[in-house]
Amino acid sequence: MPDEKDQESVIDDVTALAKGLKTTLGEFFSPVVTTMYPEEKSPRAERYRGRHYLRRYDNGLERCIGCELCAAACPVGCILVIAAENTEEKQVSPGERYAKTYEINMLRCIFCGYCEDACPVQAIVLGPEYEMSDVSREKFIFTKEKLLEPLPPDVEARLKSKEQK
Amino acid sequence: MTIDGQSVTVPPGTLIVEAAKNVGVEIPVFCYHHKLDPVGACRLCLVDIAPGPPRPQTACTTPVAPNMVIKTQSAMAVQARAEILEFELVNHPLDCPVCDKGGECPLQDFTFRHGYPTSRIDGPRLHFKKPIPLSANIALDRERCVLCYRCTRYYDEIAWEQELTTGQRGVQSFITSQFDQPLTSIFSGNIIDLCPVGALTSRVWRFESRPWDMTQTGSVCSKCAVGCSVTLWQRRGQLVRVTSRENDDIDEGWICDRGRFDYTDVNDPKRLRVPVVKGAGSTWNTAIDALAAGIKGKGPKLGISLPQDLTNEEAFLFRRLLDGPLKGAKVKMHGRTALPEPDPNQLLIKEIDDARVIVVVASDTEKDVPVVNLRIKKAVSKRGAQLIVVHPDGVDLDRNPHTVHVRNAAGSAAAEVEKLASHELLKSPGGPVAILFGDGHGSEDAADLAAACAELASKVGGKVMPLYRATNERGALDAGVAGWDKLDGVQALLSWGPPPTAGIPSSVKFLATWDHLQRPDHSRAAVVLPATTFAEQQGSYTNLEGRVQFLRPPIPVAEPLKESWEVLTELAVALGLELGYTGIFAVQRDAAQTLPGLADLAEPPSPTPVPTPVLIGPAHP
Repeated sequence: MPDEKDQESVIDDVTALAKGLKTTLGEFFSPVVTTMYPEEKSPRAERYRGRHYLRRYDNGLERCIGCELCAAACPVGCILVIAAENTEEKQVSPGERYAKTYEINMLRCIFCGYCEDACPVQAIVLGPEYEMSDVSREKFIFTKEKLLEPLPPDVEARLKSKEQK
Repeated sequence: MTIDGQSVTVPPGTLIVEAAKNVGVEIPVFCYHHKLDPVGACRLCLVDIAPGPPRPQTACTTPVAPNMVIKTQSAMAVQARAEILEFELVNHPLDCPVCDKGGECPLQDFTFRHGYPTSRIDGPRLHFKKPIPLSANIALDRERCVLCYRCTRYYDEIAWEQELTTGQRGVQSFITSQFDQPLTSIFSGNIIDLCPVGALTSRVWRFESRPWDMTQTGSVCSKCAVGCSVTLWQRRGQLVRVTSRENDDIDEGWICDRGRFDYTDVNDPKRLRVPVVKGAGSTWNTAIDALAAGIKGKGPKLGISLPQDLTNEEAFLFRRLLDGPLKGAKVKMHGRTALPEPDPNQLLIKEIDDARVIVVVASDTEKDVPVVNLRIKKAVSKRGAQLIVVHPDGVDLDRNPHTVHVRNAAGSAAAEVEKLASHELLKSPGGPVAILFGDGHGSEDAADLAAACAELASKVGGKVMPLYRATNERGALDAGVAGWDKLDGVQALLSWGPPPTAGIPSSVKFLATWDHLQRPDHSRAAVVLPATTFAEQQGSYTNLEGRVQFLRPPIPVAEPLKESWEVLTELAVALGLELGYTGIFAVQRDAAQTLPGLADLAEPPSPTPVPTPVLIGPAHP
């Protein structure tokens, strides 16, 4: 015959099991929060700092004036700008000066966003993309052509509405 | 006197701005420049002076007086300066991001340190077309101009030119060249350094870099024998800018346009970088062996053309070759005068300032020695010296109406100089006499002229200065390699630097070149060696007054280029002479011991420290 003590221990065990199963079963029937990355992506915060873009004006001219203030503000020195002069035949940006070369070393960038703060013409912005893995180091040097790719339309629209305010 | 509570003693006549520099008090200035006469145009230097009227006064035009008490930080002075800065910015376009002055601009710095953080003026600004090319090298932006008149005053006082002036008046004033013609003066580039804002900028350096991108070294100009101090600015292995560096013994902060703008060949993408033998790229060993085989044992049938900017070290090594395996070769140095070696007690450039009478013989100093020409102008217009010019043609110094111009027939300068001893200006000059003489670009007998000038100097109590033209002619004379031989009839020619001015003689069967660029005349060279430039190589030049100055290259020698001392040492080995130098310092030490003229090479001074950038202080009030 089991004594009184053993009976108490069995009841305790069953209670503990029930408690544990309550949590497990509760989770089993609660809504799923896992995102099935990469098929599915979680939303970015509005001011998320991902890869850089160089913007254009509506008339197609580049905003960047090649002033190098982004390169000066950059704490890691990953931006290279070489400027040149606009001519009447080749007007790249409004005014006298444009960036002949604009390169960002994405391996070195820490995505601090200081370049965006420093830019006097809102030419460089950090967009929502963060998937930049690649197989060669050279591909991480983002050239001007790559940076001039258009921003996602929703981000561009948001920046424009901010400027109008 | 007292400035901001610090007592300071200065000589009478010193201006308050200069006295404040002695105690490290900053009084901001735009129109004031220590080499120009004070004008008081910008009113930025307002300070509180007691005793005096209860108004702020300009520190740049007020000389000190005993027991004067100056307050730069009194409420009245601080407010006055801030409001003047607010006025300066009324028409300023604030396009600092695209302005080449941005980052080294006194207007930016002073606005941060002395101005208001915001402007109360919100009216339309004056607009001008921009940029306006003032010449091939200088761009003018009238919107940025603060009308300090430094540039026009420099043109008037220092350069004696009338090309730059002010148009309109009052708030509509703008800087313009006379009749909108391009500037032609050889001294025009100095207005870029003088301009305290971005109104006058270099078109050669335009948008090349921002000031913080560059590293700088304090070097020596390699374009003529004056040896002005310059700052060389480097970005990404390219020489992007040359600016003046004040050295009161030589240049007083001015350089000529040749020194300032004539540097783009250093960055030429077509620069020679690998040795070439018979049209195909080769290694240094092969090329040097081929060169040695071509010139060995030729004696007087070998000709060598030397560049004008031969360094002292190269000259010494070359002398070793001439004494040894290349004995008897004909040597011609580029651009050199026929002037003999100078008197050891010759006139120094800074001594021109104190001369009462200046005699310039057989030289158009503007073209031959530009910055010495500015020194003569300063002695005449600021110190009241008399000027006598002996030259067959009109020269730049005739712009002074009091210049006595003796027009001699070419070749008779020595006779004219002998006659000058009885000239009324030289009978009692009342002080030292400076006699500067050139060789009339070959039209005068240099030895006769030197003797005549030395005799005149001893008669009237003066010193002479031979005006050499080639950059290191003095050093080459000291080393004994400044040849003046005719290269006609030589069978082998080593053309070091640009081709000989008379062209390559048709008798040449073996041509070797050693230069940094491919020149058309060099097309039939059997051996081509790539050379370094003044921006890459180490070495020294002796200027026309005998001062040894060292090059401080901002750009490293990029493989496969080799420094010239190394090439010459290897060439010596190939010719059978073991020199055994392991570095340029060994060459310098040996040269100092062997040749008395190069004794200064023994201990190269440490490089001039790079000035620390001025940090932006707190804005006040």
